[in-house]
Amino acid sequence: MTDTNSMRWRLTGYVLFCVIILVFPYILNNDYLLNKYARYLIFGVLSAALSFSWGYTGILNLGQAVSFGLGSYAMAMALKLRTIPIQTGAGGLPDFMVWNNVKALPWFWEPFHSYTFAVFAGLGIPMLLAFVLGWFMFRGRITGVFVAIITLAMLVVINLVIVDQQKYTGGFNGITDLSTFKAFGVGFDAYSLSTYYLVAGTLCVVLLGGLAITRTKLGLILQAIRDDENRVRYFGYDVASYQNFAFTLSAGVAGFAGMLYTLVMEFASPTFLSVQLSLSIVIWCAVGGRGSLLGAALGAILVTGVQGNLSESPTFLDTWMLIMGAIFIIVVLFLPNGLISLAEKGVRLLKHKSARETATHPVAGAAIATFDSKRVRES
Amino acid sequence: MSDILNQVFTGLSLASILLLVSLGLAIIYGTMGVINLAHGEFVMLGAYTVWFLQKNFGLDLLPCLVVSFFAVAAAGWLIERLIVRHLYKRPLDTILATWGVSVILQQGIRLTAGAELRYVKMPGWLSNAVPVLGVEVSAYRIFIFVLTLLLLAATYLLFARTRYGFSLRAVTQNQEVSRCFGINAARVYSLTFAYGAGLAGVAGALIAPLKSVSPDMGTGAVIDAFMVVVMGGVASLMGTVASAAIIGQVSGLLAFVYNDTVAKALVFFGVVILIRFMPEGIFSVRVRRG
Amino acid sequence: MAMLEMRDVEVSFSGFRAIAGLNLSVNQGELRCLVGPNGAGKTTALDVICGKTRLARGHVRYRDREIGNSEEFRIARLGVGRKFQVPSVFKELTVRENLRVGLCKPHGVFSNLVGRKSGESAERLEALACLVGLADELDHPASWLSHGQTQWLEIALLLAQNADLILMDEPTAGMTGAETHKTAELFNQLKGKHTLMVVEHDMGFVREIGDVISVMHQGRMLAEGAISEIERNPEVKRAYLGSGRISDA
Ligand SMILES: Nc1ncnc2c1ncn2[C@@H]1O[C@H](COP(=O)(O)OP(=O)(O)OP(=O)(O)O)[C@@H](O)[C@H]1O
Ligand SMILES: [Mg+2]
Repeated sequence: MTDTNSMRWRLTGYVLFCVIILVFPYILNNDYLLNKYARYLIFGVLSAALSFSWGYTGILNLGQAVSFGLGSYAMAMALKLRTIPIQTGAGGLPDFMVWNNVKALPWFWEPFHSYTFAVFAGLGIPMLLAFVLGWFMFRGRITGVFVAIITLAMLVVINLVIVDQQKYTGGFNGITDLSTFKAFGVGFDAYSLSTYYLVAGTLCVVLLGGLAITRTKLGLILQAIRDDENRVRYFGYDVASYQNFAFTLSAGVAGFAGMLYTLVMEFASPTFLSVQLSLSIVIWCAVGGRGSLLGAALGAILVTGVQGNLSESPTFLDTWMLIMGAIFIIVVLFLPNGLISLAEKGVRLLKHKSARETATHPVAGAAIATFDSKRVRES
Repeated sequence: MSDILNQVFTGLSLASILLLVSLGLAIIYGTMGVINLAHGEFVMLGAYTVWFLQKNFGLDLLPCLVVSFFAVAAAGWLIERLIVRHLYKRPLDTILATWGVSVILQQGIRLTAGAELRYVKMPGWLSNAVPVLGVEVSAYRIFIFVLTLLLLAATYLLFARTRYGFSLRAVTQNQEVSRCFGINAARVYSLTFAYGAGLAGVAGALIAPLKSVSPDMGTGAVIDAFMVVVMGGVASLMGTVASAAIIGQVSGLLAFVYNDTVAKALVFFGVVILIRFMPEGIFSVRVRRG
Repeated sequence: MAMLEMRDVEVSFSGFRAIAGLNLSVNQGELRCLVGPNGAGKTTALDVICGKTRLARGHVRYRDREIGNSEEFRIARLGVGRKFQVPSVFKELTVRENLRVGLCKPHGVFSNLVGRKSGESAERLEALACLVGLADELDHPASWLSHGQTQWLEIALLLAQNADLILMDEPTAGMTGAETHKTAELFNQLKGKHTLMVVEHDMGFVREIGDVISVMHQGRMLAEGAISEIERNPEVKRAYLGSGRISDA
């Protein structure tokens, strides 16, 4: 059947990609570059997460960076509390708190002494936030463009709050001078192979796990919701729950990506939940192909890779934003399914060459019979 | 007592500006179902127009307002023609494309006019305070309020009384049918987009003397306008007006009690809670689902 | 006891009363045809039953349970299926995927995350596709289908859903004579096991399937009875005056 055939192609692509990023360090043994590529791969995770909610379910989350940033802060808070000596303040206060005349560690910082808590918070806080916001939006039947502007508004608001609460968050500077994350006896230094593998492994799990989910009935229903959410309701599916599942799961993955980003960058900053980053995520996803997790991830790696390799001078960055804006508009106008759709077209051409299977048709009456026997069994 | 009045007047002027910004957004959304993410940048362009005219020609604010309207309307018209037009069938994609536009406008201004803060002078005859009901109110704030009322009335008349307004309503109802009656839907859309942009331009010009002018000033403005549109619904001009009034007053008050950031956050959470129970805004009766 | 009972139902759209005191009751296993001139409120009546439109006043009872103004998915879970006047299927999904969505049990998020495809449901899915003549199209996107085929697909979706009460809004619109005939046969097979409410303009089709016909006019029930009675009813004739539809088949 063509269905399984195209699935085989897709799976091959995913596995091939995973193998490439996993053997990559053997080809290239350079700490600096490993760190740089780890960063790109994290963006790949982030972009794939957006593709799950946007491309598959039709929920355009313009505030994806909120989850990413919160995850990143959770990790940074834990790592900050491990720096020795932190500063002169009482009870091991982080330096920026000392500068801001905070006398005691705020209560919501306390639990971050535990790594376990931090990891759960990095996942859980973004998910909880998404779930609550999703509950209000999806139960209220808010969809489409309104979801986009509400999530964007949330991003702006949370960014403002974090910058504003300098005493507790480090304000504009974010949280810097962190210690190294250690778990199960392994240290995750920003430039280490272990960190690269943590990131690459995450991307593999996200891509393959995500692909598996999209292949389930749930994944199918999500796509049906994207297509015509009202029609789905009349089959008895609670659309809001499905939407919220996709929205929350995507937020969780983005939060995890944020934690990894703190490891790789060695700081957390309000720019991690800026409008600009959120915009970039959407651009990566659109350029690569919103309808494909792999396409979205590749889009992120490609775009940030080009950006990182061209130049890093500030004047270039200024024009870079102009170029990005233009590329974005062009992709949206002329290639709505992204670069991956070109590849898929190629595959389809190949497929058309192979002979078409002819299905045999059982007698039509049998259908009614099956259909009724099923009914009897159910009642 | 006078504190309260003072607060009410501040709230009113906040609401006026908010209304000018969101009116354009709501009109564009109500007509073509497009959320224009570059709307904040239209506000910013309006402010820069004033700055540019003042710096180079030393113009007073009043003529600048008129130029701002037409300059930004022209920009809006162009963007509709070049980009938005091709995406009417894909509303989510218009959001993306206009986001791209906003990046280009912001970055374009940053590269040409510079990233630093710019300042615009208030006209002399508006810079003093006037006693109203026993409190001193800044003349400029009264000016904003009056001008907003005038623009609102003009908008109403434009929609209710002119041939353009008639075509607009017809196109909004049913594009196919109105085309049969010889209404040029494409032209109506361009004009509407331009008009909405022009209003944002005026809003930007009015904000300019109150705050500093910077390339990213639009983001904040547009977020508040989103809240207005989400809360007011798009069914009527009335909804937008009322919701701008409410949000303006509430944020004014919260900003006075706490600060701007907290005010923005609380207004956001308030609106999110509201949409759960009144998904189509506060001024529409929900009959049919979906 | 009636399976579905509507009493004094009123629906108004910003002041305009599209349904003004509708009374209707349908028994288990019945095939009820709902006819009436354009704008009579037939579609709106179905909308009220499946939860799409809120009723301003009155009651809708389904198996002794009040369902007026309940959420759509809850009503659907009670066993009410709906086919829309403008055929609505999932255009971006293939026919096979459409049918899988239609095989809607279980409904929950997590059971659909862990559930496996059963061979039985795959079989049933192909059987349904054969039944409606879409076996060759199983792996094509639904957007490739013709109007008539789309109608069939939506009917197949309802069969997949296996609803007890099936609401059909103009199922034969856009079908050829032969296809219409085939639909009539199918409906006749379904009746008895399922309860059907069919809105139709095509009186030939109604004659083929209907036992009892309800005629709506201006948001009210105008007449109810066997087709021969209805056709002789002077009030019905008057309601149809100008549209002439009742006799044109
Ligand atoms: N959402 C709505 N808003 C306003 N009026 C509506 C709405 N839906 C239906 N109506 C009006 O309600 C009346 C009944 O409409 P309905 O669609 O139920 O008629 P119908 O009997 O199905 O007609 P047809 O045979 O043409 O399908 C019509 O006058 C229609 O204009
Ligand atoms: Mg109808």
